[in-house]
Amino acid sequence: MAKVTVDGRTVEVPAGTLVTDAARAAEVHVPIFCSHQKLPPLGACRICVVEVGTPKLGPDRQPVIGADGTPEIAWMPKVQTGCTTTVSDGMHVRTVSETAVKARKGVMEFLLVNHPLDCPVCDEGGECQLQDLAFAFGHDFSRMDEAKRTFDSEDLGPIVKKEANRCIVCMRCVRYCDEVMGENALTAHQRGVYTEISSFDRQPLACEQCGNCIEVCPVGALTALPYRFKARPWDLRQHITICEWCPNGCSVRLGVRGMEILRARGTEFRGVNQEYLCARGRFGHEFVNAPDRLTAPLVRTGAALQPATHDEAVAYASARLRDIAATHGPEAIAFLGGEKLNIEEQYLLQKLARAVIGTPHVDARTRPAAAVAGDALLRATGGGRPALSFEALTDAQEVLVLFEDLQGEAPFAQANIVRGFRQRDLHVTVAHSRRVKLARPRFKGDWLGLKPGTELALTLGLTRAALELGVPDGMPAEAAKALSASVAAFTPEKTEAETGVASAAITAAARRMREASRKALLFGRGVLEHAAAPVLLQAIENLAWSVGAITAETSSVMAFGPHHDSAGALEMGLTPDHLPGFVAAGDPAARAAYEKVWGRALPGEGSSARAALAAAAEGKVRALWIFSDELLSSAPDRALVERALEKCELVIINEMFLTRTAARAHVVFPVAAFAEKEGSTVNSERRLQKSNRALSPRRGARADWEVLQSVAQALGADWRYRSAEDVFREIARVVPGFRGLSYASLLPQGVQLSGPALAPRLQPVAPVAPAASAAGEGLWLLSGGTLFADGSLSARSNTLAKLAGSARVHVSPAEASRLGVGAGDMVELAGPAGSARFAVEVDDSVPAGAVFVPSAGSELNRLGAPSLAGLRVQARKAGAAATVGA
Amino acid sequence: MSRGPFLFSDIDKPGLAALDVYAQGGGYETVKATLGKVPADQVIEVVKASGLRGRGGAGFPTGLKWSFVPKASPKARYIVCNADESEPGTFKDRELMEKNPHLLIEGMILAGYAIGSNLGYIYLRGEFEYIQRILDRAIAEARAAGFLGDSVMGTGYKFQVHTHLGAGAYICGEETALLSSLEGFRGQPRLKPPFPAVEGLYACPTVVNNTETLMAVPAILKNGAAWYRQWGTEKSAGTKVLSVSGQVKRPGNYEVPLGYSMKQLIEVECGGMKDGLRVKAVIPGGSSVPLLPAADLDTGLDYESMNAKGTFLGSGGVIVIDNQTCIVDALWNITRFYEHESCGKCTPCREGTYWMSEVLERLENGHGKPEDIDLLADVADNILGKSFCALGDAAAMPVQGALKHFREEFEHHVTHKTCLANRRRAEVAGVGA
Amino acid sequence: MSHGTVMPVEGPATLAWSEKAKAEVAEALARYPVKRSAVMPVLWIAQREWGWLPPAALRLVSESVGLPESEVFGIATFYSMFNLKPVGRHHLQVCMTLSCSIMGADRLFRHLEKKLGVGHLETTPDGRYTLRKVECLAACGMAPCMQVGFDYHENLDEAKVDALLEKLK
Repeated sequence: MAKVTVDGRTVEVPAGTLVTDAARAAEVHVPIFCSHQKLPPLGACRICVVEVGTPKLGPDRQPVIGADGTPEIAWMPKVQTGCTTTVSDGMHVRTVSETAVKARKGVMEFLLVNHPLDCPVCDEGGECQLQDLAFAFGHDFSRMDEAKRTFDSEDLGPIVKKEANRCIVCMRCVRYCDEVMGENALTAHQRGVYTEISSFDRQPLACEQCGNCIEVCPVGALTALPYRFKARPWDLRQHITICEWCPNGCSVRLGVRGMEILRARGTEFRGVNQEYLCARGRFGHEFVNAPDRLTAPLVRTGAALQPATHDEAVAYASARLRDIAATHGPEAIAFLGGEKLNIEEQYLLQKLARAVIGTPHVDARTRPAAAVAGDALLRATGGGRPALSFEALTDAQEVLVLFEDLQGEAPFAQANIVRGFRQRDLHVTVAHSRRVKLARPRFKGDWLGLKPGTELALTLGLTRAALELGVPDGMPAEAAKALSASVAAFTPEKTEAETGVASAAITAAARRMREASRKALLFGRGVLEHAAAPVLLQAIENLAWSVGAITAETSSVMAFGPHHDSAGALEMGLTPDHLPGFVAAGDPAARAAYEKVWGRALPGEGSSARAALAAAAEGKVRALWIFSDELLSSAPDRALVERALEKCELVIINEMFLTRTAARAHVVFPVAAFAEKEGSTVNSERRLQKSNRALSPRRGARADWEVLQSVAQALGADWRYRSAEDVFREIARVVPGFRGLSYASLLPQGVQLSGPALAPRLQPVAPVAPAASAAGEGLWLLSGGTLFADGSLSARSNTLAKLAGSARVHVSPAEASRLGVGAGDMVELAGPAGSARFAVEVDDSVPAGAVFVPSAGSELNRLGAPSLAGLRVQARKAGAAATVGA
Repeated sequence: MSRGPFLFSDIDKPGLAALDVYAQGGGYETVKATLGKVPADQVIEVVKASGLRGRGGAGFPTGLKWSFVPKASPKARYIVCNADESEPGTFKDRELMEKNPHLLIEGMILAGYAIGSNLGYIYLRGEFEYIQRILDRAIAEARAAGFLGDSVMGTGYKFQVHTHLGAGAYICGEETALLSSLEGFRGQPRLKPPFPAVEGLYACPTVVNNTETLMAVPAILKNGAAWYRQWGTEKSAGTKVLSVSGQVKRPGNYEVPLGYSMKQLIEVECGGMKDGLRVKAVIPGGSSVPLLPAADLDTGLDYESMNAKGTFLGSGGVIVIDNQTCIVDALWNITRFYEHESCGKCTPCREGTYWMSEVLERLENGHGKPEDIDLLADVADNILGKSFCALGDAAAMPVQGALKHFREEFEHHVTHKTCLANRRRAEVAGVGA
Repeated sequence: MSHGTVMPVEGPATLAWSEKAKAEVAEALARYPVKRSAVMPVLWIAQREWGWLPPAALRLVSESVGLPESEVFGIATFYSMFNLKPVGRHHLQVCMTLSCSIMGADRLFRHLEKKLGVGHLETTPDGRYTLRKVECLAACGMAPCMQVGFDYHENLDEAKVDALLEKLK
């Protein structure tokens, strides 16, 4: 620790603290521009100059005490930049002495020498650091009477507007794009006063379009084109809520004017992400204001859906539900979807299903091809142990990413890894069939480019290699022995033969993870929606223990999604085999507590979404209630969904838009978007965060929990929740793992959930025979989320839709020439269930023998099931006679 | 007639750039006598005792700089020659390298040995491409003769040196900017601390020395510290090569013992002024240092005497400003130089050099206002000590010096909208007339 | 001049190293323990090949050295001797800094402007000469000085410059 005195105020700060941070601790404001908490000190702008002094030491190396009894200070002859100076014990800092003030005013004046007086036409006005600091620290007149240097203004693509005249060359944009985003899209060119920030050869920015350069720009040099000239910050109400695009749970500050969200920003020192947002977080809010939001419930009369009042819709739905339950039993009703709801809504969903209606069929996970136990993910992530945080991820020495393209699925997690690589000593190993961003050479990691369909083999191979290094910490010896025996066959050589990944790379990856003291193991949809998901999850749990990513006390495993509150859905028991808090639904003793609290006997285990749909297609399930899920497009078996929706006598859908799926419903309840309701969500750190309401719901729309309560009440339940908080209070009373929590306790950073550390299951896994369609011919159809296209909502956010373009099929250059196609040509993909056409994009990250189509907007389930892994298709140039397959 | 007592004693010897001629004169003997025979620590002590100071401009004691390299560091060490010579008025390193490249190589081997380096670089300004060829040829000769390579002279000590060509950026003469450039970045300076001796090239201990400094090392090691101290003063030991330019009869490079009178140099060695011109002012150490009025001509060419007169010996680029040259015009010229060469990293230098150039342009062209003079002084004061590196100071100090000694010329420009005297303007106007 | 925007000049769509250049690039890379240090020598090799550095050359350099294109662009534009625009066969770089100015560089430059009919940074229509003002060339004692390509020409006056231009085809 070091004692530092800033303008007479003494504080104690950790050794290595920068003077600017010590000043903040002493509540003295030292202005900054180029300094940024996520970037190493630069010392370029000079606005933070202060006087620094240290105690004079006498010949005895002790401080010389002056006449007034305090140590005499030797002041450094030149002012120092606070952002580059680390404190020492006994240091004194003067920020308002004549010297410091003159120096700072001088720098301020220099900053305004060439900066144009653009405030009236500059979007930054009102929230501009230069304005604010000029007002606080500068002159109120200008002595600069010369012609200013000028540049042309430039659109750097569809997102970023550059007014280079305003640039103060703080280099935050360039450094952030390099060190946090790993994109290197921006560069400074020329030098001196003619330094201009631009892209290579002034081409449009070909980058993640995150807009963080705009966010970190302290002036109006970089502004957002979608927001240009729309509002002044004082016109806006700004509310921080949790972004709904991915499971990272970033805090997004929505700027609302009237009933319209005009923009979204990050916020320094808030949330897990602070200033960072990805393109979706920053520009994805547009769907909230889309003109085709549903504004009234719809009830089917005859062939068509007609608008109805909320009461009418509730009455109709509840009457029908009561009918069906009475005639065919409560098990004839199934509840599907809900990964996008708040936990309050998820809790009420399953409470309505189980405790009011009495059906056990609750499953939020409509996309997986195979049924996964409700606590499988909890186990695979070291359940109960303190969860991995994003900070720990940035700080890791070794990161292993399994079968996940973080750029599309968890962009903020990716940015943490990039920063850890650029600024610390992080090394990343990416196991993925495609050479995704983090697998690119510039990140100096290792790419395990496995053949599609061999995910399990690789996992087993890595496990064996890890266990070869000895019994890992915390793994019971018996289990280690059994596990080793079960993976004995997956020698590095055998694994190489099966997966195509070099044996040396396999052993190296395993060793690196074992030997690292700070590590992280990441996976997501690529596993959860895999055809062999249950087996693969168990294999990953085994691998995690084997490499020391789960030990008796710790967990360094993080799983993603796919949706922003998928983790919440698991916590709240939106799975057929678990009640909230991972209480086993099939265990009567375990159920008893809930039965007591909710006042009735509860059903046991129910069917998975897949099984429920199959049952609906056969007429055994007669009613489906689906929550914010474009089931037709996203479920693995499209034909099954078609049959189920056709056959069901009651389909209730909660949706924001009249989607294809919603158009098949008998009742549609218009629901509020994430920004229009209070609630809390759980992110991939298992962090429970409060999400706030930024604007009132669209006319006619209600929060899902309100709809659920209306129907519950109509069914006779005595529910009296006045707010989402009321629901939360009940959750905090009755759900294990949530005891003692309140909304207040979720401020400011949320709370990472944990619980009693689950004992390892470590069940040996038998290799699974490849699925029927996977054997034999065809190109592997790879899919997944991408940055700009993430489901039906992104299509309704204009900026994202523009960036995404229409879904294309990505083929390797070799495959393109075999097919005889080039960029933009049409290709027809044919699978077991059907075919579809896509325009070609030549992409060297796609391996031979495979094609990649982003999952959003492509409706890949038209081709067959499952669509994410294990599907092979035939491809031919559209219009050509011959088919290219194997 | 020899042009100097030490480095220039044989500088004009025909063929000196070739290894056989160089060796004939005793070249590389000090390498033979030192590597593996004299401990590296002792080498550093001799150089310390000699009082040799950096000849590029900063004048930092060389032996002391070498001693900052941590002995126990397991990292590779690097010796880098700063041959970026871009300080206006300075052209000594150019002549030294052109004519005696082997002396630089020998100096680098010995400096490398002293700090435990096996790899050195000579960073040449881009315009010195022909010097790069001369040096590369000499390096190839030295390597063939065993003076460079995996085992220098069979001693087992490995040393190799490469040339690296800059591309036109004065700022790359600043040692951390030089290292940035050598590492493959834009040539912008870096934070100190850490100092290059601890964390320099590739974050490894690195010593950056000027050409002339390194070329003094072999003779110092051969003859001893006391020998070097036969010249110069107590605080400024040895000799320095001064580059004299301006309207003197014999401009050029001259090596003198430190402390030699600048008046002598100009009037005797350089033969005094041409064409009936008189000295109005002299910039003693390259354009970055404040000028001295003619009254101070008789100042000793050493570090402390120059400091006492409010200026610096700097690079030793002696620019003679004659009485037909306008001080305001000259200052404008220098300030434009710093504006062009500013790297742009820090606000005061980037914006301040632009601003001062604009004000000086108006003053020179007859559009000056009375408040411009104090404005210039204040802008310079706001740069001095506030910029990221010494280039800002280098831009500010000439302004302060000119205003201190020749304020009347500025006032004349404001009042009369014209120069007191300006041959340059007249000549330009006369072209094609 | 205070308008700072420099618009890119396109040049050929793609470029490839000659065998000789490829060998030089490999040699350059071998001289440094860290690859990116070779970016300046490799930029010089490219400039020697094509006379200037079109975007295609910068892409080639970025591939050879393993740096993002944007960084190579930023590096190339930082240094005044890298030509981001085509130059004439003879690049006439006249030093204008103080010592040369005192010795008559301004007059010399004006003479060249009048003689060639082009100004600073401009190329004669026949592509023979590009005229440019540069900063101190370290020839202060032999002023005025002009560098043609890499060649130094010192102690110049109008007559000598005229004679020199004659010889430069």
